[in-house]
Amino acid sequence: MDYSLLIPEVVLFVWALVLLLYNASAKTENPRAIGLFALIGLVAAFVILWFVPDGSLFGKTFISDTYARGFKMIFLLAAIVTVIGSVDFASKHMKHTGEFYSLIMLCVTGMMFLASAGELISLYVALELSTISLYILAAFLKKDLKSTEAGLKYLILGAASSGILLYGLSLLYGLTGSTVLDEIGYRLFLNEGTTIAAVFAIVMFVAGFGFKLAAAPFHMWAPDVYEGAPTPVTAFLSVASKAAGLVAFVRLFFNSLLAIKPEWVVIVEIVAILAMVVGNVVALLQKNIKRMLAYSSIAQVGYVLVALSAGIDLSVTSMMIFLLAYLFANIGAFIVVIAFSNATGSDNIEDYSGLWKRKPSLAIVMTIYMLSLVGIPLTGGFIAKYFLFGAAVKEGLYTLVVIAILTSVISLFYYMNVVRIMMFRPAPSADKIALPWMIKLGLAISVIMVLLIGIWPGPFYAWGQLASTIFHF
Amino acid sequence: MANVIFYILAIIVLACGFMVVTRKNAINAALYLVVAMAAIAGLFAQLGSLFIAALQVIVYAGAIIVLFLFVIMMLNLKRDEFGFDSRLFQRLFGLILGIIFIIQLILIVSRFRPGLPAQAIDPAMGNAAAMSKKLFMQYLYPFEIVSVLLLAALIGAVVMASKRKDR
Repeated sequence: MDYSLLIPEVVLFVWALVLLLYNASAKTENPRAIGLFALIGLVAAFVILWFVPDGSLFGKTFISDTYARGFKMIFLLAAIVTVIGSVDFASKHMKHTGEFYSLIMLCVTGMMFLASAGELISLYVALELSTISLYILAAFLKKDLKSTEAGLKYLILGAASSGILLYGLSLLYGLTGSTVLDEIGYRLFLNEGTTIAAVFAIVMFVAGFGFKLAAAPFHMWAPDVYEGAPTPVTAFLSVASKAAGLVAFVRLFFNSLLAIKPEWVVIVEIVAILAMVVGNVVALLQKNIKRMLAYSSIAQVGYVLVALSAGIDLSVTSMMIFLLAYLFANIGAFIVVIAFSNATGSDNIEDYSGLWKRKPSLAIVMTIYMLSLVGIPLTGGFIAKYFLFGAAVKEGLYTLVVIAILTSVISLFYYMNVVRIMMFRPAPSADKIALPWMIKLGLAISVIMVLLIGIWPGPFYAWGQLASTIFHF
Repeated sequence: MANVIFYILAIIVLACGFMVVTRKNAINAALYLVVAMAAIAGLFAQLGSLFIAALQVIVYAGAIIVLFLFVIMMLNLKRDEFGFDSRLFQRLFGLILGIIFIIQLILIVSRFRPGLPAQAIDPAMGNAAAMSKKLFMQYLYPFEIVSVLLLAALIGAVVMASKRKDR
């Protein structure tokens, strides 16, 4: 067995432990040094990941293929950009910074295991590793009532959704007698036709993964948790946790349940429509920018589900491109929120008025992220939506695409509302906002990537297509 | 004979389960739960899964229930704190959901046709031995992830519980 496939995960895990021990033994806590140390570990794992070959371990329990590695890159990039953006936040507002960063790294380790999981038990356990770390991270500001509330809500609802998911997994095992995903797919294919138990299991999966994705109608937790959790955690949660839900969802549905596709397509379509409508309409009413971004993330996942209900290789390709573009635009927007609330202590959209006067560069990058989230040409968001809806059109899902485009138009209002307030409202005070260099770095990386994907999508499309080749449609 | 023991144990489990949800006093409910768990352990033992029976007693009847009792006693709940204003609505809603669930269960059980049977553990190997062999060979990888998971949970518990202000 070629254990070298596991090196990125092992490096990350060991790094998290070393960081924890270093932090515990240090006489004085130096949050910046710890943050940089964590960053080095994440970048190291990212670099090593490029050299990991294809293969599988433990009888297809651990799979290293282009799809898994593509997702691992997304998880690591999300963590890297989040950590860059959170160093200042952490040193300002947090105690236990060592534990904070090591939990982020453990969470990413769990997500990477999840991306490689080729078997139900390890899939579930890896999912739990990532979500349990996220529960703790959401409640990390102990003195802050909202953060505590966010953590508790997330924990209770998350545990319930895990239970539902687990029930579905057990039904699938009962139906096929195997926990290996390939084997399950093969046996479902041989069995032909479906029992009501399979449909029941599918409903459980959609509910369980729908919670992780924060897709309506399983989104109730998202706004409160996004608002209450420390902003860097929200940034990470809004991207990585969705990607983690998607990686398992797609591998399970496109690998194991493809034989019974007619049974699940309708359910996924309904969830997609609900997510797009609920997310975009309710986002219009939000006054807090974190809540607004929470509803926007619900809507965004609806667009992905539109593509996934097509069930073709372009669905996977477009999902990969979407996640990359969404990662940089969304985390970038959250870094702006961090920078703004560090300077002014507010998360209200109204308070962003006159940001153009107070810090032009901050207003410009925020505008670019908002444009990308809407999907305006020349940004990554446009390319992502183009391929997402293209996949649906290719399979003739015109109703879905029409709803997606109509709700995208609605989304224009609330995204552009932020831009309007920043650019055209008078500033409440003339104080300039200073940006620390780490925040600048995070913002610069995100803007460059958002524009790069929008202007030169070729290599990213190739990368996404490579990931889709492992599925046999 | 085996059937008689099964029915006795099953009746104990069901009766205690019923008592758990109907007791007003939380401590009484928890104690009934202990009996139910012990009876379930008996069911496992009767199936020949001595290892799982032992686990059931140690983990559920032992650790979890003790933890449960500690929490109840520390919170020191008064009876009126259990009262809900929307009790009627809750009961009605619960009844409807319960009926739906039973119908689903009946549908599933009646139409269930197993594809291929799951592999049974080889009885010749003895239960604990077979279990650990599976655990440390076939399921070594998820087992290791679980240990990482426990570490993450432990870190979280320390962070949440620590009262350290500054060093």
